[in-house]
Amino acid sequence: MAHKRSVLTPTLIGIVGFLTVCPVVMLVFGSFSTGLGAFGKFTVDKYVQAYGNPELLGIIANTATFVLGSAMVATGLALLLVYLNTRTDIPFKFLFGIISVIPMMIPHILFSVSWVLLLNPSNGLINLFLRDVFGMPDAVINIYSLPGMILVEGLLDLPIAYLILAPAMASFDVALEESSRVCGGTTLRTLLRITLPVLRPAILAAFILTLVRSLASFAVPSVIGMPGRIYVLATYIYQSIATGFAADFGKAAAIGMSVLATSITLIYLYRHLTSESEKYVTISGRGYRPSIIQLKGARYPLFGVVGILSLVLIVLPVVVLFYTSLVPYSMVPSARAFSMMSWKHWIEVIHDPISLLSLKNSVFLGVVGASIGVMLSVFVAYAIVKVRSYASGILESLSFLSFSFPGIVIGVGFMWFFVRTPLYATIWALLIGYVATYLPYGVRPLASAFIQVHSHLEESSRVCGAGAFTTMRRIVIPLLIPGIVSAWILMASMFVRELTLSVVLSRPGSEVLAVQILRFAEDGLWGQLSALGIMMIFISTALVLAATLVGIWLKPVAGSA
Amino acid sequence: MPGEGRQDEAACAGRRIRAGSEISMEIRIKNIRKHFRSGGQVIKALDDVSLTIPANRIFTLLGPSGCGKTTLLRCIVGLESPDAGEIEIGGEIVWSHAKSIHVPTEKRGLGMVFQTYAIWPHMDVFNNVAYPLQTRRLPRDVMRSKVAAALQFVQLEGFEDRPATNLSGGQQQRVALARALVAEPKVILFDEPLSNLDAKLREETRKELRTFLSELQITAVYVTHDRIEALALSDTVAVMNSGRIIETGAPREIYFNSTHRFVTDFIGRTNLIEATVISQQDTLTMVDCILGNVACRKRSDLKPGDAVTLCLRPEFIRLQHGDGLHFQNVFNGRIQSLVFIGEAFEGEIAVNGTQLFIKTAPDSDMRVGERVHFTVDPDRCLLVTE
Repeated sequence: MAHKRSVLTPTLIGIVGFLTVCPVVMLVFGSFSTGLGAFGKFTVDKYVQAYGNPELLGIIANTATFVLGSAMVATGLALLLVYLNTRTDIPFKFLFGIISVIPMMIPHILFSVSWVLLLNPSNGLINLFLRDVFGMPDAVINIYSLPGMILVEGLLDLPIAYLILAPAMASFDVALEESSRVCGGTTLRTLLRITLPVLRPAILAAFILTLVRSLASFAVPSVIGMPGRIYVLATYIYQSIATGFAADFGKAAAIGMSVLATSITLIYLYRHLTSESEKYVTISGRGYRPSIIQLKGARYPLFGVVGILSLVLIVLPVVVLFYTSLVPYSMVPSARAFSMMSWKHWIEVIHDPISLLSLKNSVFLGVVGASIGVMLSVFVAYAIVKVRSYASGILESLSFLSFSFPGIVIGVGFMWFFVRTPLYATIWALLIGYVATYLPYGVRPLASAFIQVHSHLEESSRVCGAGAFTTMRRIVIPLLIPGIVSAWILMASMFVRELTLSVVLSRPGSEVLAVQILRFAEDGLWGQLSALGIMMIFISTALVLAATLVGIWLKPVAGSA
Repeated sequence: MPGEGRQDEAACAGRRIRAGSEISMEIRIKNIRKHFRSGGQVIKALDDVSLTIPANRIFTLLGPSGCGKTTLLRCIVGLESPDAGEIEIGGEIVWSHAKSIHVPTEKRGLGMVFQTYAIWPHMDVFNNVAYPLQTRRLPRDVMRSKVAAALQFVQLEGFEDRPATNLSGGQQQRVALARALVAEPKVILFDEPLSNLDAKLREETRKELRTFLSELQITAVYVTHDRIEALALSDTVAVMNSGRIIETGAPREIYFNSTHRFVTDFIGRTNLIEATVISQQDTLTMVDCILGNVACRKRSDLKPGDAVTLCLRPEFIRLQHGDGLHFQNVFNGRIQSLVFIGEAFEGEIAVNGTQLFIKTAPDSDMRVGERVHFTVDPDRCLLVTE
């Protein structure tokens, strides 16, 4: 056993190290060489070329505004929602749980597209509606703008901020607030002096994580930013590698280096803050049930805000896409529009060979990729949680590193690697890239599942006379199943909709859904896009349901074996 | 251990803290009711409670968990609103359902020590203690000296700059006390403040708290489920159960002279024996029970034939070797078990087919199986009813 463990960790360090360090090293090499496929001699030309461009300053300014703005929107909204949910008597609390989960199912690119369909200046449905019904001028609201990008990205990052803030707020000791009240502090003073400062590490952690996410975001900058000629670093990198004949991977790598450096710095800051917030955990007693703040008159108006938000986050994107997939061209819903509805776009998509191929590829990547990813994650999580050696510490840092990888940058790094292997332009290149980039999403739920399998549970099984294998089968695996299922769901739904990495790695023959949707968007084929998008949501949902059912089915079987 | 000089100093600091509050702060609670709804059931947390808490005394609410003691405390401090009734603190009505008066917590000017201490983790000790003064917008130098005095009082001089997360449990408890005292509150409330300390520290802190509070001459309301804490700390104890106050009295009264079955059972380990009143005598009440006839402490409100419960505490059962003479309150039995717990022997004896808990000196030479007799002082035979 001891011998096996000593082999396990180094092997895993080898695999995870290859997956995470290789693209970074290749990116570094690439940025110092002349072009893709030829490392040649060491040169700083690409840096001079990339950073000497006066255009870049404006792009960095755009990026900063976009990233900071959307992180503020996401964190602010999440804070409001979490507070209302845990601390007030707002009605219909189940909606909050839905808001925090559903956007994980709606792919970012489709969410962005649905906002374009609603608010684009030429034929956005809301703009048309305002013009036709209220007689307002054309294009009252233009989504192709920085505020538009910030709004959409902020809404997309809202769930991640919510998921960080919710447990922090839930574990908040209400006595801290009550004792401020007893000491003469008013409600406002208590909020400003006690509640917010105590939550500060969690708020900062949420803010930083949303910063990283929006820095890596490609869906919003490409679908909303590019048509309005608002470039951020992600789209700038994309532009330099996607312009067919003049693709410049060296320049992309040189710029990518600073994006990656920023991202890694932020992620380490995030880790520091989360360990800091653990220090804030005070003595917790039996705990009195938290006093619920009576909203009184504000109860329903505030619920209205939440209701609108959930409508905007969940219902609107799907409805708009479905509507657009049925009407021949953009028009305000009317009797005429409904009479003209047909399945034309759906039939076109089904007959489009590239769309079909992308469907097939994405399902394959979702199912096979998630399965491989989860298998690797089980071992990594085991080594991190149960082995607990210096080497497993390295493994933990390595597996966390890819959390900070902006897909497009890491894609450029992988490109450099794959181009000299037979994997180039195959679906396997995408699969390796996906697993490398999304490994933390598999490791995290499994690590917490392993933590729950307290070593006493295993030990008492051994004392009862069960061998290592029986203990694994009867005790450990059954307890891990919920973790395995949620890791699989998380990975599969991310792989099915993956865009940022795919946009670099996908070549003719290895198209995937999100990239095909992006092509439709670039060509303005909104009808086909919507039809394919709805199919994508269906596939995602079907995979989630299937995995959940398998989990339910496995549980009693494992228990009675 | 603080020496003589130390205590003088503390008393002096205590006086400084209390300077300028000479009004007596009695708390009157009239017909307070509070019901919670949980899963379709109504839980009567407070069921028509009326109570007067005397000024400048340590008053303890004692009861099992869920008896409503914490709810009552939270109603006094204003963190909970009763459904009906009236609360008056120092002559001022702070809550009245009928008169629609609701003084918010922050305007009641009280001090409170929470079960979890509620030390704000993002502030240092100074800011934690100074917070009540900051809300009252006191000048900086006054604030500094008051905080210093409060910290000196709880024996934490010079701790001002310590981060709050860097304190031990006992230190956090003292900071919480300093914070509750610093603004010279009319009343100080304690919600099971010792339950998070380990056994040894709990005992020390209990003694200190007693010293602190008696120096201060302050009205203190203390909530606990620990009978030793209640008896050791308080001037008056109110025993609560199911949202009602069962009995109120000084610790000795509660222990020696209770008339309620629940109270005698809760306040210590005891033998409860069903009995019937036979006759009333000058200074005694005679009952009949499985032990035979027992002479008990007089309860003149009982009539012959009434069903009562005889309460015999193990510590008052005096064992002797062999069979005893047939005399008043002398009973024969056999030792069934003896367990040595260090400070005493605890065990059971069989008497007339029933079993009684006993407690005897640790150096006793009794053996299991031995025939013994015991006597009980009639004054220690309590008759209790529901």
